[in-house]
Amino acid sequence: MLLLQLLLDGIQSGAVYALMAVGFAIVFGMTRIFHYSHGATYLIAGYGFYACTSVFGLPWYLSVLAAIVLSAGFGALVQLLVYRPVQRDAGSFFTVFVASFGVGVVVENLLAMMFGSGFLSVTSPLSRAQPIMGLYISQLGMIIVGTAPLIFLALNYFFDRTSVGLALRGLADNPDLVTVYGLSAKSLFLIALVLGSLLVVPAAVFQTITAGLTPSAGHRVMLISLAATIIGGIGSLRGAGLGGLLLGVAESLSFWRLPAGWSDAVTFLILLAFILLRPSGLLGQKVRV
Amino acid sequence: MNLVIRTLSAAAMSLAVGGQAMAQDAYDIGALFPLSGHTAAFGEMYRSATSLAVEHINADKFLDKPLTVTFEDSQAQAQTAVVAMNKLVRVAQVPVVLTGFSAVSKAIAPLGERDEVLVINGGASSPDLAGLSPYFYNVIPLANDEVKTLLPYLAEEMGARKIALVYVDDPLGQAVVETLGEDAPKNGMELAGSFAISSSTSQFASIAARVRQTGADAVFLAYFGQQLISLAKQLRDAGVEVPFVGISTIGDPNFIADPAGEGTIYVSQKTDWGADDALTRRFVDGYREQFGKEPTPYDANYYNATMIVAKVIDELESDGLEVTGKAIRDKLAEIRSFRVVGGELEFHDDGTVTVPSQINLIENRAVRVVQ
Repeated sequence: MLLLQLLLDGIQSGAVYALMAVGFAIVFGMTRIFHYSHGATYLIAGYGFYACTSVFGLPWYLSVLAAIVLSAGFGALVQLLVYRPVQRDAGSFFTVFVASFGVGVVVENLLAMMFGSGFLSVTSPLSRAQPIMGLYISQLGMIIVGTAPLIFLALNYFFDRTSVGLALRGLADNPDLVTVYGLSAKSLFLIALVLGSLLVVPAAVFQTITAGLTPSAGHRVMLISLAATIIGGIGSLRGAGLGGLLLGVAESLSFWRLPAGWSDAVTFLILLAFILLRPSGLLGQKVRV
Repeated sequence: MNLVIRTLSAAAMSLAVGGQAMAQDAYDIGALFPLSGHTAAFGEMYRSATSLAVEHINADKFLDKPLTVTFEDSQAQAQTAVVAMNKLVRVAQVPVVLTGFSAVSKAIAPLGERDEVLVINGGASSPDLAGLSPYFYNVIPLANDEVKTLLPYLAEEMGARKIALVYVDDPLGQAVVETLGEDAPKNGMELAGSFAISSSTSQFASIAARVRQTGADAVFLAYFGQQLISLAKQLRDAGVEVPFVGISTIGDPNFIADPAGEGTIYVSQKTDWGADDALTRRFVDGYREQFGKEPTPYDANYYNATMIVAKVIDELESDGLEVTGKAIRDKLAEIRSFRVVGGELEFHDDGTVTVPSQINLIENRAVRVVQ
């Protein structure tokens, strides 16, 4: 029963990690920008949700909507005001990374000044687990486990069946060819940033209610996203999702026999094992959705 | 160019001379607190209480010169603290440094001994802070003593027989594991499970599953800072219904104010804010008036530490002795016993302290003394 409970908890964490990772993988896979401020997007969505519910007293659906608008707006602003000017001046991969890292640090400090550096969370009865046949399951946990596959199905449709989705896949494969076909690479970059930012919102809202928020939480989001992207195979969105799920389940199952302090080590062990034994990751290098 | 260099040199010299003059016009002590980072809430608390004590000391004018404090940010990290400690000792040339947090205390204690600067800890309770250095003193009881105080209450008043422990894997946590392992059986209890967590862990639902499996009557949280709230919240959400218990690290105002802290039992040094002795009344009333909230035991510790330093300096002035770190340390070791907020405080040779203790219950987001 304990093993089953740990598996269930791991699937919940894995669903959250998968959403974080796919958001990062979209930006990295499509634009080749190491979007370190993905963690900052998570913070903006989480703190936005917290502020709307706990400070302004808005209903939860309006708060989620505000988190969506804030994170999408932030993604667009970062692309327009940071990445695009840096890349226009022939900024290298590392220059863009440093700029992204800088944005992440600034956002972290701004949020600490606005909300304090302490722990914040949104209280909801949905996060309280109830025993069902010996297993403790919360309604919120079931919602996130149910929502994540729906989002991935929608993404699947978007990248397979819509012209913008196909153009984004083309951007990942050959950015020069995209412009030959008359498409705007600038617009596609912007769409990739906004889409990647939107995907982190469900994870941020779920975590704000269940685990709480601190201004430094973005670093862990980045760690998980990066590890899952490498494990899944750089360029593969499905791989990133599976990588996130694998990390969540492995982290939770590690509590079965290992001391609890090993959870972070488990993440790195899996990452190291993939780098050494299967550098292309679970689903290879090409962008396939 | 020469004119510019001469002007800058003159300005630098005048600033240096001015700084020395200012230092000579006051007794300046140092405070090395976490003013940013994960534990900044503690640092702000320590700073508030220290500032209040300085305000009261200077209002009374019982020292020949006013007392001032130079605050530096340790970020609760050893490396940052060492740099800040060197700045306090070399630049500000303070004879005393107030500090908190085990890692910081252990990192700066050798520097204090080397430079004959007295270091006083009011926030860290790791047992290895005992006998750390001849220049290191604690005004807070250490964790092993607190655990021993709490266990009889758990056994007799709460009827606990099995305890599960969740602890941060640092010297404080290790000390609680050892003390619980040794002393729980002496009180008719069993340590049913102990779960170490790294300070970076943020998902605790799986730990809750292990804790539930132990069938414990109480869960001991040897944890501190903002993760304490996240841990307690996630344990509650994941169906852990038995009471949380702990030591003075639980007395974090953010934890007390959070719904996750409701029903928690913890031990701390005695802090009867309703006591009618003049010292306690002045501290409590002054704190409430200035900060608009109830003080915590940590506030009392730093208020007491600053008051003790002032009393020792007063004694040195009466004896006509120079106020240095060594002189303050020697006089403190000679006096040993001080009347402070909360009662009588007595220092031991190993730098530890004996103070009265109390058992607290967090109820309706406030603290109620239950024993």
